Amino acid sequence: MKVRRDLVLFVAIVVLFACGPLISPLVHIDLSILSEVLVTTLAVLSVNLLLGYTGLPAFGNAAYFGLGAYGAALTVTYLHVDFVTAVLAGAVAAVAGALLLGPFLLRRRGIYFGLLSIAFGQVFYFIAYRYTDVTGGEDGMNFPRPPFGPGIAQVSINQVQFYYISLVVFVVAMIAFRAVVRSPFGRTLIAIRQNEARVRYLGLDTDRFIFVALLISALMAGVSGALFGLLINFAYPLELDWHQSGNFVLMMILGGAGTIWGSLIGALIYVIGKDIISTITPLWQIFLGALFVACVLGFPRGIVGSISALRRIASDDPEDAASNEAFDVSAPIEVGRGV
Amino acid sequence: MFHDLAPQLFNGLVLGAFYAIVAIGLSLIMNLTGTINMAHGSFMTLAGYLAYSLVLRGTSFWFALIAAPLIAVIVGIAVERTLVRPLYRREPFYSLLMTFGLSLMAEEIFRLIWGPNGVPFSAPAALSGAASLGFMTFPTFRIFIVVVLVITISALAFFLTRTRFGLRLRAAVQDTEMIAALGTNTQVLYAVNFGLGIFLAGIAGVLAAGMLGLSPTSGNALLMPAFVTVIIGGMGSLFGSIVGGLLIGIAISMTTLFIPAASEVSMYVLMAIVLSVRPRGLFGEEGIFG
Repeated sequence: MKVRRDLVLFVAIVVLFACGPLISPLVHIDLSILSEVLVTTLAVLSVNLLLGYTGLPAFGNAAYFGLGAYGAALTVTYLHVDFVTAVLAGAVAAVAGALLLGPFLLRRRGIYFGLLSIAFGQVFYFIAYRYTDVTGGEDGMNFPRPPFGPGIAQVSINQVQFYYISLVVFVVAMIAFRAVVRSPFGRTLIAIRQNEARVRYLGLDTDRFIFVALLISALMAGVSGALFGLLINFAYPLELDWHQSGNFVLMMILGGAGTIWGSLIGALIYVIGKDIISTITPLWQIFLGALFVACVLGFPRGIVGSISALRRIASDDPEDAASNEAFDVSAPIEVGRGV
Repeated sequence: MFHDLAPQLFNGLVLGAFYAIVAIGLSLIMNLTGTINMAHGSFMTLAGYLAYSLVLRGTSFWFALIAAPLIAVIVGIAVERTLVRPLYRREPFYSLLMTFGLSLMAEEIFRLIWGPNGVPFSAPAALSGAASLGFMTFPTFRIFIVVVLVITISALAFFLTRTRFGLRLRAAVQDTEMIAALGTNTQVLYAVNFGLGIFLAGIAGVLAAGMLGLSPTSGNALLMPAFVTVIIGGMGSLFGSIVGGLLIGIAISMTTLFIPAASEVSMYVLMAIVLSVRPRGLFGEEGIFG
């Protein structure tokens, strides 16, 4: 039953998004903003895999996001590649970054992992910022949107086509993400979040699981970054900054950590909210900061997390209760400090 | 180039002393409560701006140097009691996220009150000028900074190792439950500890304002090197933060001299090297965050 309900919901949402070009003029939201929502969701999912499912404070995912954007920008600018190749280049750059940082990040868990993620992620920021000759430094780099593919597929991409490309990538990513977190591999990640020591006692090499999760996460963030760069035709150092990582984490919490739909809802509220508020007031950052504070203090389960918690209480459905998707924040930390 | 070496080395040590004191404040808070205080840089900036406003209203620099950090401490303890405290029982990344939000708000508020651009904040006349050290001359204010930072860190070390309250604080880092069971009010410990961290940030903030300039983001610029300092020095170690800070200061000043473009990246290279040799940092204690 639950599978069918999920499928119906999924199809309904995809159909709704497929009508995006019709809806956007009605609600006065530019289609590029809707593209941004879809693209950003991928980055939020990448944080969700590490933080929501595996329990690792992934505060450095902007590094992979930015590497994706710069991977696309650099290949388009200097190698004149097509759209598909640029996205692949961004993904490769991000995964390469994760391969490089992974061995260091894996050495620690918990809040130390977060600290290492923030610090190491910042390396790429400074490289992009300082290596002015190639990356344009602080000004970032403008680049034209390349044709879609090589040979006969060499057509230019307008805003509507871009939207549908991101929708296709989004659908593929959502299906893949669901498959990953429902697979034995994904279940192991959840088990690592709940009690890593116990997973290790069962004979599983948790380092290897976390490393693979990190690579998948970097891949998603890289594709997201590359598409974002191609969407705005621009790559800039702040995409790599830890503030950006913080925003991804916020979107994840806002929607609901450890839930698939939460990532979409978080990205939707954040991107559209930012678009609306920043046109009204220049003080967008105060609202954003207040949103962080309010979310963490008053709404730690997020929207989807709260709904499924309510539903679990209401239905008393053992299957729902066992599904364990919602990230239980009220659970005491077993090896906590400061309690 | 090589006659620049000695002053540049000394500059690096001054910078490193800043990193060390900010890192010590960060790790005090982190060790006891598991809170990574992303708003630490904002408290530095706050103290800097408060000192600027105090001096502008005619108080002496010396008064501002003490008063501004103390006001920042009051703000800090208020924040800790109302906003951070509810998060102690939760996963530590929640407090990281919350303080991150605070720093975003603070930056914008500083911009509203004191303007988006930097404001001039210079050292008093008695401290401007340069002093001759025999083999080189060096700005007096920087020497003064080193003296103040050394005194502050020594006082802190004395407090933590020789006073009853300091001993309780360190015991609570080892085992909060036990110290609570033995009759210490841990909530008071948390509040005082947080205030102590902010006080260090405040002192550093006022001094940094005089040396590195004062703008809404100036404190946050010191936050990232302070994180790297904590990682290199090792969590849970005061001495480690001092060594880590000085190492980074020297690394940055030397690369600035020889390969300017790599000045920021150098500290991350240093961090990667230290972590590959010693995953828990140079002086990290076993058991503090595994």
